[in-house]
Amino acid sequence: MAEESNTNKGILSKLFQTFFAKHWPVWVGGIILGLLNVFLFMIKSPWGGSGGYNNWGENVYQAMGFLGLQNVTPTNTSLYGMLNILIILGAFAGALLSKEFALRIPPVGELIKGFIGGGLMAIGATLGIGCTIGGFFSGIPALSGGAIFLTIGLFLGTLVALKYLFWEMEKFPGFSTGKSRTFLAASEKTGGWQIWLGWIVIIIVFVMAYNYFGNENAVMSWFIIIGLIMGLICQRSRFCIVASFRDPFMTGKSSSTVGVITGLIIGLIGFTVIKIFGIGAGETALRAREMTWVFPHFWLRAPIGGFIFGLGMTVAGGCAVGALWRFGEGQVKLWAAVLGFLLISPISKKFIVPGFVDLLPHNLRYKNFMPDYIGYTWSVVIVLAILFLWYVFV
Amino acid sequence: METEIDKTLDCKGLSCPMPMMKLAKTMKGMKSGEVLEMLGTDPGTKSDIPSWCEKSGNTLLEQNDLEGGVNRFVLQKK
Repeated sequence: MAEESNTNKGILSKLFQTFFAKHWPVWVGGIILGLLNVFLFMIKSPWGGSGGYNNWGENVYQAMGFLGLQNVTPTNTSLYGMLNILIILGAFAGALLSKEFALRIPPVGELIKGFIGGGLMAIGATLGIGCTIGGFFSGIPALSGGAIFLTIGLFLGTLVALKYLFWEMEKFPGFSTGKSRTFLAASEKTGGWQIWLGWIVIIIVFVMAYNYFGNENAVMSWFIIIGLIMGLICQRSRFCIVASFRDPFMTGKSSSTVGVITGLIIGLIGFTVIKIFGIGAGETALRAREMTWVFPHFWLRAPIGGFIFGLGMTVAGGCAVGALWRFGEGQVKLWAAVLGFLLISPISKKFIVPGFVDLLPHNLRYKNFMPDYIGYTWSVVIVLAILFLWYVFV
Repeated sequence: METEIDKTLDCKGLSCPMPMMKLAKTMKGMKSGEVLEMLGTDPGTKSDIPSWCEKSGNTLLEQNDLEGGVNRFVLQKK
């Protein structure tokens, strides 16, 4: 009897080791995130990142009485606002369970870069409508023509910012050196508290989800659980969209790119099925379901925003979601990025976007749903061909 | 047996991509056979450095965790 329970424990701890001793391959993360994204669309609407930041920012400004904001959706009832919080908590739990959590405080120069990067991401996301998640990881599978142009912008922005980073390292190495500190780190023998706290975080989140379930807000309960899983998976697989654009040009590493492409293909299949059959449309019109996550940014509005976003995410070292999960594992540079993102987003929306939109004639910023022009089959074939070319390139 | 270290690169506190960029740059300036010790706290480097070594042909001699959440890597230039 005693022996049996010993082997049981052995199996459980081996299982635990599999998940939390090593990083997962990025493509595993890509598959699961792709599936979760399809699930989010089935029950409501696809994954997005920048909207949640904007919601946080608007709540902050409303509480301070700035910008004259009124009737802002409180974050605890905002689906995407909550999703972002849960991604942080999920990554926090993932880092704790694998004893990778620590407060890592970088030199001041890096903190400034984090904040500026976050601010640029906010401006890019509000100008271009969409970030690396809503506009790209969900926008491409949504067969939005604008998403392809947004991607081109993201790509160019990443390359320019990468050039800048090399230049900065050459000319101003002091910017990324200096006093840094690390707190609360675990080691092989110490820090068992991290594992305990990790489980506590997970239990608290489930209680939270349960409470919303009681409030007839089942969709929110799902968003909470899925956010937790997304954060945990991003942290364990180090799913990073910046890396997917950047690494082939920086270190020649292609695993992040392959992971992102995997997630896109799964999203593409799922989204297309949902759109064709109008799954989960409920009372909304089929057409509205089809047009989900197709934003009015075709074709020039998208790449302008994407370019600025690409600059920001590369300087910050994490896109909208990359900043969230690195926030959760304790990288303080990304705390600055998250702060920059949420503080600048409402300002950009109020003061920069209206003037920018006035500058662009309507035919440079309309909703382009590819199947309207070339049918579903050709749209899917073209997107797959682009992804395949990208795969071959890396 | 202790490996003789020619140079140490401190990347503590830095987030991705700075550690990898600094590592690549420092290795570029070293001679073949020289050994670099790199200290960092970004969890990403734990999987980035081995795969980078594979790609670039440099050898990862040692990889271990020090106190205070610091990861130590010892690399030999190709």
